[in-house]
Amino acid sequence: MKIRNYWNLRDFGANLWENAGRPVRVAIVLGSILLVGLLPFMGGSILATPIAAFDAVLVYPVGMFVLMSLGLNIVVGKSGMLDLGYVAFFAIGAYTMAYLGTTTNLNTWEIMPIGIALAMIAGVLLGIPTLRLRGDYLAIVTLGFGEIVRLILLNSTWSKGPNGIANIPMPPDLGPLKFELKNQRVFFWVVMAMILLTIWMIRRLTVRRPGRAWEAIRQDEDAAELMGIHTLKYKIWSFTLGAAVGGAAGVLFASKNLYIAPEMFTLNVSILILACVVFGGIGNIWGVVIGAAILGYLPDRIRFISDARLLAFGLVLVVVMNFRPDGLLPRKKREKAIVKREANA
Amino acid sequence: MKKRIQISLAIATALAITLTGCSSSDDAAENTFTIAYQGPLSGGEASTGTDEQNAVKYAIELFMEANPEYTIELVSVDDQGDPAVASTVAPGTAANEKILGIVGPAYSGATIASLPFYKDGGLVMISPSATRVSITDPATPDFGGPVFHRVVGKDDKQGPALAKYATDGVANAKVFVVDDQSSYAVPLREYVEAGLKSVAGASLVGGDSVINTATDYAPTIAKIKTSGANVVIYTGYYSAAAIFVKQLRDSGSKAVFAGGDGVFNQEFPKLAGAAAEDSRITGVGGLAGISADLEADFQEKMGVSSGVYSVESFDAANILLEGIKAGNTTRETMLAWVKAYEGTSVSGNTIKFDENGDISYGLFAGFTTKDGVLVNTGIIK
Amino acid sequence: MFEVLIDQFWSLTLAGISLGFIYVLVSLGYTMVYGVLRMINFANSEIFMWGTFGTIITSRDIFGYTQTSAPATGGKLALVLISQLIMSMAVAGLTAIFVEYVAYRRLRAKGTNRLATLISAIGISIVLSELMRLLTDSRPVGSPRVLEKIILTEVWGANIRLDTIVTIFAAALIYFLLERFVQLSRMGKAIRAVSMNEDAAKLMGVNLNRVITTTFLVGGLATGAAAFFYITVFEYSKFNIGFTMGMAAFTAAVLGGIGNIRGAFYGGLFLGLLEVYASAVLGTQWKAVTVFIVLVLVLLFKPNGLFGEAVQTTRA
Repeated sequence: MKIRNYWNLRDFGANLWENAGRPVRVAIVLGSILLVGLLPFMGGSILATPIAAFDAVLVYPVGMFVLMSLGLNIVVGKSGMLDLGYVAFFAIGAYTMAYLGTTTNLNTWEIMPIGIALAMIAGVLLGIPTLRLRGDYLAIVTLGFGEIVRLILLNSTWSKGPNGIANIPMPPDLGPLKFELKNQRVFFWVVMAMILLTIWMIRRLTVRRPGRAWEAIRQDEDAAELMGIHTLKYKIWSFTLGAAVGGAAGVLFASKNLYIAPEMFTLNVSILILACVVFGGIGNIWGVVIGAAILGYLPDRIRFISDARLLAFGLVLVVVMNFRPDGLLPRKKREKAIVKREANA
Repeated sequence: MKKRIQISLAIATALAITLTGCSSSDDAAENTFTIAYQGPLSGGEASTGTDEQNAVKYAIELFMEANPEYTIELVSVDDQGDPAVASTVAPGTAANEKILGIVGPAYSGATIASLPFYKDGGLVMISPSATRVSITDPATPDFGGPVFHRVVGKDDKQGPALAKYATDGVANAKVFVVDDQSSYAVPLREYVEAGLKSVAGASLVGGDSVINTATDYAPTIAKIKTSGANVVIYTGYYSAAAIFVKQLRDSGSKAVFAGGDGVFNQEFPKLAGAAAEDSRITGVGGLAGISADLEADFQEKMGVSSGVYSVESFDAANILLEGIKAGNTTRETMLAWVKAYEGTSVSGNTIKFDENGDISYGLFAGFTTKDGVLVNTGIIK
Repeated sequence: MFEVLIDQFWSLTLAGISLGFIYVLVSLGYTMVYGVLRMINFANSEIFMWGTFGTIITSRDIFGYTQTSAPATGGKLALVLISQLIMSMAVAGLTAIFVEYVAYRRLRAKGTNRLATLISAIGISIVLSELMRLLTDSRPVGSPRVLEKIILTEVWGANIRLDTIVTIFAAALIYFLLERFVQLSRMGKAIRAVSMNEDAAKLMGVNLNRVITTTFLVGGLATGAAAFFYITVFEYSKFNIGFTMGMAAFTAAVLGGIGNIRGAFYGGLFLGLLEVYASAVLGTQWKAVTVFIVLVLVLLFKPNGLFGEAVQTTRA
């Protein structure tokens, strides 16, 4: 007897995709991009956020969370390393933008590669000594790293300490698209483009050598090493790519927020991003996107319960994790089975 | 299958709860007006915001009691004290046409992040606690004019006042300054240290920076002992100050303990007990510092004691409420009203804003702890 | 740079040791659970925070002490302190069992991935801390002074205070009792058996659920005891104090070798001293940075922590 599983949205989506021909696929992709792109105009609908502006919520937290979660997913989801200090790369990107944007004439797009490069360098510098560690040891070291970056920003004079850096320039206009604070839809489209680019990059890599190496490392690091995979190299690669995405998100964030301070880059952000990844479905790009979108959006949607907002957020995490431990849209079963066995080992 | 039904039910309930939140009553009565409070109302910084919002609520309640023909609604804008959150809530608040004015934001960082939106929306802000000097300095990028006002004295007034008050009557004062690494305490510490230079006979012998979530001050106390300081100035908030002063006294130190308006709170002697005796605090005052009756009434109406910046929040709310009573029911006239405002603070000072949004008095009173209560010793000259 | 360290060496050392013993007990909460489940008990910091409130409620609401009342003496002192300790351990122990039941049990039964459990634990710790925030109106809560902090004597320029001595000796005693419990009792043996090999232990007739609940309970009791000492020394609590303590205790557990009870002991003391010395030499703002660098160095040369070898052999 075949019971249709209405809850398995991932398989439903995958079926739809696999049974479709090329034109249909193109149509699906373009259609979804268009639909998502129209989101900023939905501010008056049932989606409206009570106090925050809907278009602003779409950029931060929603868009930024999706972008960062995708970056963290390369580290946690693809190659199975628990990183609790992801906010560090975000902060490095943001401070690169803030510092160069206020002291030089470079604009956001010119600073972007510098921010990404610095985040990647930080990733390598942290990765080389620490990626030999495994599991929870790695977790505590990355957690410490995130705090250290914040403390250094807090105690340095070039970063203006706790006062933070104000008056960061906005990105220059992209042709007819003008960046404005009042209506942040252009920011949203830029974040969307960055998200699409990241998704494209991850999908490319997943089917190529690095993706296979990560998969092998995630499933069994020792076996991967024995099979001749240079595990440390690929781990650093995945760490660095994750860092690059975080750095890019940071640059854009600083340029959108116009003001940044160390208090924005606390451990809470790292944990929240990790929660987005796991909540949506670790390792599955679409799950991560949906998880991050929900967790970014939810706290602003439920502002009417103001005081108990975080309490409700915590409850949602517990309940969803208990009923859907592999996330809202889990990764494929084949991969899941191995994770389960690992947990029992 | 049963499990699935349970899950669907749970999710449906959650959705229902979520979605009903947007049902708002648009049947605005004739004399219904809205003001907002912005500050941290959840997360780790929530105590400041909750205290301030209580004072705003108290002001509204008193106003509605005295003027029953008005209904005042308060929008709680929770920015968690985080500039990143502030820049998502500020555009929404600016776009909410019903809001005539804002009490807040509570923190300087959140203020700077919110400013572009409120300037754009012409929405007047009266902050009870954003003390950073640059916000009212037209020469800096942080400048908040014309919408930004504050009813709290800024750091460059308070720093020297605190330096003077802390070393008052101490011969050969050797001062040790401690901040809590927050964006409130670090700038204040700089102004205190600058102010010390103009105090005759006083010298700065050392300093330390202790994160505000810390509870162990042993290393700092060791440094104080080594430096031989006889005056310790703490520029952070009252709760950490209480822990600090207790440990300082328990270690046997007799140095004068002083703090700024972040410490100025009747909770401080309550938390610190006997250790807080003779501490020297600068501030404008909590409600209890002004009158015990007011504090008792506050406790009766709000169910809790008044907390940090309650006088400032109360004053700020009253300026807006008086504006509403005077018929300023658009943002434009409200802004003009606040700019031209001249009135009396519950603390007795005359409130009048200069062209950059600072209050005219900016004078700080010195308080000292006597028998577990902060007692006003007069304006510091 | 070093004058503070030289001048105040013994008072710093004493402060470091008493802080270290609090870390030891809290890190037991991490290390016990980790040893059995191989999972970070992320909510342990909030278990600690609830324990501190258990302590405060006992002296303030049950015995009616206020901020201004005189500290207790004689038999009354012992009675109040012991009831505070018991209450703190009970509150923390119950909270730990609650955390296990709500956040871990269902997921463990399903044998799902560890990250889901971690997020579930993060969720429950948000719930615990926000709940306390709502209960306390986001205010800090002071604890009345029960134990007079008399300076007993002065040795090498350091004041020997009563509360420091009580903390050091009582905490060491509690640590010793818990360690003996895990080493010698039947339940303790079952805990160690599960920690070495879960499946084999199950085959030997060990009731897994009971063992895991007991592990959480023991971890919670240790954390609760730490909460009591913390309140006795610092006399202050707030809904967000768990985080800092949790970070430090977890670091201590990793430094010593997580999953290893002795490791928690050495790790906690080491961290307590390191923090105090680093603050004295470099300035308190660089304390966390120093701790992190030391942690990375330790893990580089001893990837299982300072005392992690024992875990490896016992786990096999």
